[in-house]
Amino acid sequence: MNRYSIWVTEYAYVVNQPTSLFVYGAHNQGHRKMPYGYIVIKGPDVVATIDVGYNHKAYGEVLANSYGVENWRPAREVLSEVGVKPEDVSRVFITHAHFDHMGALEEYPKATFYIQERELTKWVWAMSLERRFRWLMLGIDPADIMKAVDLARQGRLVCVDGDCADVLPGVDLHAAFDTHTWGSQYVTVRNDLSSSSQNSWVFSGDLVYAHENMRGSDPNDPQYVPVGLATGSQFNLIMTSEQMTKRAGGDYTHVIPVHEERLKDLFPSRITKAGLRITELALADGEKSRVR
Amino acid sequence: VNAPPLDDRTVAYVVASQPQFEDLRQVAAQLAGLLVLKVTGSRDASPDHPMLGTARTLFDEVRGRVEQTRPTERARPHHMRLQQAAAYLATALAAAQRALASAGDGDVDAALAPLRSAYDELQHAARALPGFRMVAFEQGCCAGHAAAPLT
Repeated sequence: MNRYSIWVTEYAYVVNQPTSLFVYGAHNQGHRKMPYGYIVIKGPDVVATIDVGYNHKAYGEVLANSYGVENWRPAREVLSEVGVKPEDVSRVFITHAHFDHMGALEEYPKATFYIQERELTKWVWAMSLERRFRWLMLGIDPADIMKAVDLARQGRLVCVDGDCADVLPGVDLHAAFDTHTWGSQYVTVRNDLSSSSQNSWVFSGDLVYAHENMRGSDPNDPQYVPVGLATGSQFNLIMTSEQMTKRAGGDYTHVIPVHEERLKDLFPSRITKAGLRITELALADGEKSRVR
Repeated sequence: VNAPPLDDRTVAYVVASQPQFEDLRQVAAQLAGLLVLKVTGSRDASPDHPMLGTARTLFDEVRGRVEQTRPTERARPHHMRLQQAAAYLATALAAAQRALASAGDGDVDAALAPLRSAYDELQHAARALPGFRMVAFEQGCCAGHAAAPLT
């Protein structure tokens, strides 16, 4: 029995991203496709997403022309592929504050957003540092901070301090401090609602970019290898990978990185008319497949 | 993409004004950060917060540099955007100080509105000439791709 239907929805991609970005230290190992996406969780009387994508109006042209990001599509178009509208979304869990994960907050007019308080306060702290520390501000758009002010004024921003169980029935937030960012969080969905779930999914945000982060490159001798981009520590990333694996019941294929193109090799999926992939992880009772 | 190449004097203007643009953007980010602390109820949100002083000092310094810069004809729209952004930031700074000193959230809007306007001006500036970015994409998960050169 599944409480929720869950899809990974691609909204843009980079065709040739260096492998070294995905896997720490993987220099001179070629390039691969990097999808940009968010997770849609649909249950009885509730639709939630994990992250929201980036603000194409503000800087889509720059990303397209200078950084090879292709085929961006708005939330309304992407979500329609799984029968959802942006205004249906009532909860959004922001894994971290990078522009490609929280840049499109305004597209979800009825949602309440959950972010770790530490993610905001440490970015604010970084802003107070002198210019030579600007690397610490990587990937942050000041406009997103202003949007956060607006959301807080409307009572639609929840600053979470650490782990938070059952933000929705069976959905938990887990803090992963000083990893990819200062206040990253990942999300688990216990799709059978059991506290000792045998049907759990872990949505890693950018704590994991690719399967190699969870398995290494030798299937006969698995190891954790951190992502190639982090403000925090590689040690914390590795220890968090172990936590996530346990929360996924020991099954690394249930730890879902949205930037991993090869999810299609593990789960049913299809390519939309727009050329973006929809991957179906779970279907709730009575929900029709969106990929068959 | 199809714009003609910049002349040497305009390139010199771009090089000189990039730090001004980045400093104005930084002041905007700092003020937004202080307002986040305020509206989320942080104990740190007070007019004594050191970042307010940092923002004010940086703003006073960069505003002087913006006023002293002489743009070429091609760079004039860009320079006007920076001047406008600075003017809005001056208003936002004063309002942010009042907002941080007040007990409620009532004064936050008075700071947020000019802050948004300043940000809009900076976005327009970023589009007016090459070489200006609102977000440090090259340090994010687009890092594998080199940014386009100045043309």
